[in-house]
Amino acid sequence: MIKISSLMAGGLAVGLTLGAQAATLDDVKKRGVLSCGVSTGLAGFSQKDEKGNWSGLDVDVCRAVAAAVLGDASKVQYKPLTAKERFTALQSGEIDMLSRNTTWTHTRDTSLGLNFAGTIYYDGTGFMVSKSLGVKSAKELDGANACIQAGTSTELAISDYFRENNIKYKPVTFDTSDQTRSGFESGRCDFLTSDQSQLYALRIGLKNPSGAVVLPEVISKEPLGPVVRQGDDQWFNIVKWSLNAMIEGEEQGVTSANAADKAKNGKPGNKRLLGTEGELGKNLGLNSDWALQVIKQVGNYSESFERNVGSGSQLKISRGLNALWKDGGILYSPAMR
Amino acid sequence: MFKQKTTEQIKAATRKTESGSHAFYNNPKYRAVIYQTLLIAGLAYFFYTIIGNTLGNLEAAGIKSGFGFLGNAAGYDVLMSLIPFESTDSYLRVFIVGFLNTILVSILGIVLATLLGFIFGVMYFSRNWLIKKVSVVYVETFRNIPLLLQILFWYSAVLATLPGVRDSLSLGEAIFLNVRGLFIPKLVGQDGSTLVYVAIAIAIVAIFVMKSWAKKRQDETGQQFPLLYASLGIFFGLPLLATLVAGIPFVVDYPVLQGFGFRGGITVIPELMALTIALSVYTGAFIAEAVRAGIQAVPHGQTEAARSIGLKEGKIMSLIIVPQAMRVIVPLLNSEYQSLVKNSTLAAAIAYPDLFNVFVGTALNQTGQAIETIFMAIIVYFAVNMFISFVMNRFNRNVELVGR
Amino acid sequence: MANTFKSDPIEFKPAVAQPAPDSTVGIVAWMRVNLFSSIPNAMFTIFIMLGLANFIPGIIDWMFISSTWSGVNQDACVGDGACWVFVKAWSQQFFYGSYATDQIWRVNLSLILLFVVIVLSFTLPASYRLKVSVPLFLVLPFVCIAILDGRLLGLEHVNTDFWGGFSLNVLMAAAAIIVAFPFSFLWALGRRSDMPLARSISVVFIEFFRGVPVLALFFMGSVMLPLFFAEGTNVDKLVRVWIVLIFFMSGYMAEVFRGGFQAIPSGQYEAADSIGLGYWQKTLLIILPQVIKVSMPNILATFVMLFKNTVFLLIIGIPEVLQTLLTALSNSNWLGGHAIEGYVFVGVIFWVCCFGMSMLASNIEKKLDTSHRN
Repeated sequence: MIKISSLMAGGLAVGLTLGAQAATLDDVKKRGVLSCGVSTGLAGFSQKDEKGNWSGLDVDVCRAVAAAVLGDASKVQYKPLTAKERFTALQSGEIDMLSRNTTWTHTRDTSLGLNFAGTIYYDGTGFMVSKSLGVKSAKELDGANACIQAGTSTELAISDYFRENNIKYKPVTFDTSDQTRSGFESGRCDFLTSDQSQLYALRIGLKNPSGAVVLPEVISKEPLGPVVRQGDDQWFNIVKWSLNAMIEGEEQGVTSANAADKAKNGKPGNKRLLGTEGELGKNLGLNSDWALQVIKQVGNYSESFERNVGSGSQLKISRGLNALWKDGGILYSPAMR
Repeated sequence: MFKQKTTEQIKAATRKTESGSHAFYNNPKYRAVIYQTLLIAGLAYFFYTIIGNTLGNLEAAGIKSGFGFLGNAAGYDVLMSLIPFESTDSYLRVFIVGFLNTILVSILGIVLATLLGFIFGVMYFSRNWLIKKVSVVYVETFRNIPLLLQILFWYSAVLATLPGVRDSLSLGEAIFLNVRGLFIPKLVGQDGSTLVYVAIAIAIVAIFVMKSWAKKRQDETGQQFPLLYASLGIFFGLPLLATLVAGIPFVVDYPVLQGFGFRGGITVIPELMALTIALSVYTGAFIAEAVRAGIQAVPHGQTEAARSIGLKEGKIMSLIIVPQAMRVIVPLLNSEYQSLVKNSTLAAAIAYPDLFNVFVGTALNQTGQAIETIFMAIIVYFAVNMFISFVMNRFNRNVELVGR
Repeated sequence: MANTFKSDPIEFKPAVAQPAPDSTVGIVAWMRVNLFSSIPNAMFTIFIMLGLANFIPGIIDWMFISSTWSGVNQDACVGDGACWVFVKAWSQQFFYGSYATDQIWRVNLSLILLFVVIVLSFTLPASYRLKVSVPLFLVLPFVCIAILDGRLLGLEHVNTDFWGGFSLNVLMAAAAIIVAFPFSFLWALGRRSDMPLARSISVVFIEFFRGVPVLALFFMGSVMLPLFFAEGTNVDKLVRVWIVLIFFMSGYMAEVFRGGFQAIPSGQYEAADSIGLGYWQKTLLIILPQVIKVSMPNILATFVMLFKNTVFLLIIGIPEVLQTLLTALSNSNWLGGHAIEGYVFVGVIFWVCCFGMSMLASNIEKKLDTSHRN
């Protein structure tokens, strides 16, 4: 009996062990499913509902890549990761790509064996204070207590900012963003600091959302984007251009509703993007309709944004920096040709 | 059936010894050598593979390894530190700050847990039905709920409901309690305060000397000495005298409401309070159980004998029952204290900046040096637990001697 | 005749029993003895009563009276009390994680198998109880994994990412302690061994896994272990954590067994030696069954500890029940702050399970106690 069980253990261990590294594209195609690292729960970016379905802006990046590579946006296996293990998971090959609200920094890009494939959301560290304090600027916060989420780049940004301005603060660092909200609500801290996108999510969670204001200061650059392993340039290109396809889609006015039509009857630019002309897909090692699948199944950037964090969601975040370059933002896809 | 089998086995065993008694592998001495050699070889191969794989993986991933990062500036602040700390200080200093915070919460937790444990453990033997039931409910409730939930409960359901800064509960305008913590006045030593510290040290030494003298005298003459009152008198009297002699070399630094919160005095942050309460209530439940088991292990005849020689109930507990129960309790205390220290790592769930939170949590995340940070933390907890084990084993030897 | 002397036979007529004095029966007397026997006692009693009266009505009101029970989303919760709608809506996630709804029978089947094996190990006739239940226990984790994973049995494959919720806590704890069993037994033997090297290695191993916080071990499992495996291999996170838990548990259980070994009278060893049993025959046939029997309460206590510790898995993002709760709390449709309801719910489930097991442990302890005395 014992022998049988140990045999089974061996068999299972082998069964649960997957080959990785090498050419990620081939692995994904062979497996038929994309393994994508997301957060364990972050409103608007990667969140799970009661049915166990994932949605959010970060999740849409995973779906876009799955649509481009496998032709089916639902062929994604979501791996919820904590902030601490996200890079290890990617390095060890447990996931094919990481789309987990990760700030693109020099250190991460150069010393961890990773590559950032673009920016899905331009964020920045902001402040939320109680209206009753009457504070108009972050510079008036001398001696105040700050609720921060531990292990984020916010922790570094706020420390720099306060030191530069020569004011003192006490950091109360919580493990989850929900705890920072309840800390702020109970009065444990005078202000809450986090990425601006999260400030809005946290504000909705307050019992009295109108009692808190988000200060105008944005004290750091936090470009959030998908990450891949270094050393697989083909895969890096695929993730980068899947993201760009969504942005280009918005710029050209291609939506999930009209994509199929535009592929046939659109302008030359539309046709090039959607694969009825040119060889963009082939250069990536994908089918020619890769971008068509992305936009048809996931939507263009604007659709995804509004659905997850914008007017179609509870968060109601305005486009701001994340508007297209034509509309006063900095979203800009390199030329699709 | 059993009998049959054993005879067969005997036969088999005999057969074996008959046939192979001269083979060297049946000689227990050689066999031991072979087993151990195999074991060592296996372990060596295991570690060789692991280290080889790790180095290979690190190189392939382009991760820098080594402890060089310890000298770099941390770049983030820490909520509470017992030594001065700035965000420009190194990761090594973060490590020390976290370590001291862990030690602080461990000591507070151990003291309070022991207190709670003994109180509730003895309460179980009360003749008051309600008191006994309170003890039972306490033990069964807090022992059977995961500690993590309890920490979150104390922090977010109890301490978070305290009033805000401007409506603090205050005691004589000197001690304040609010959602930001407990604010108490601090004594700041001026010139001449050294005399007082010296007096405290002398008082402690004097108490130990007096204790051994009193024990010796009791052994020789049977006369008892009011040790407790005398000790208390010395402990408080001597420093007080020194204070008066030195002309009261202290000023009191009261906490005052200023700007966003209180300044001055000593601040006990609510995270520390919640963690200490949760750890000591949780561990206290286990200690209460140990105390109960220890007292129950003392034969009832001891109580009866003590009654028959006319001792009062309180004296029976303190002189007869508890010293004997300690033989059972102390080894259990040892493992409870160790698990309290280990459980203090759950500080990560609330914002208490213990070693795990500031070092394995934040430093790991900022530097990506997983192996180094986790290794350092493991060594520290291991060392602290070895220390506790060492102290408690010494103590255990004392208790055992008393019993004999 | 002698009969003339015969008087009426004396019949024993007991006097009608007096009722006990009023002062010793009835609720008043009970209270006098048990609650108000002395002035300090009475003061304690009143103090405790006042404390209870202060808290309990508020708690009952929040939990039952002003709470919301029906509805499907957050909008249903308008009262001041608990919003149990939140727990209701997420209950499937809390129990089964993201396991597909039409496949949940596989989780239930695993739980039932676990339950059946446990019950069998207590109810089978003593003569072959060990011979049947030990192999059953050892095979069980792998059978459960095969059922949940599905590939070996030709069922639909369910990736470990979908496993979760409270069932994961239960199965993880059970799988870890069962597999740790043989290992811990070996470590305990090693610690008692005459071979100095084997002994010191066992001591180092046991003390290491007992002296290190389980949180640090989980971190090892999640961020260090991947680096230990050869390049290109990639072991599932749940399996890694399982390995770590097995090591952790075998350290603790080795100590439990060591206590068990010490409790076995040396006569047993000598008797086994005298009938000519070899080392392994002696250990496996004579000593081990007795060790397991006397260690049972401690094994259960260790299991309760492990079971409670499985919530720490949330720190490394495994979707066990508390992690699922935190995920639920961060969903943008449920941002109303239902943390307390969630904590109460999870706390109650754990309390019921752990309390049940500690009752079982103390029952076994009592049984063992009498069998020794007789």
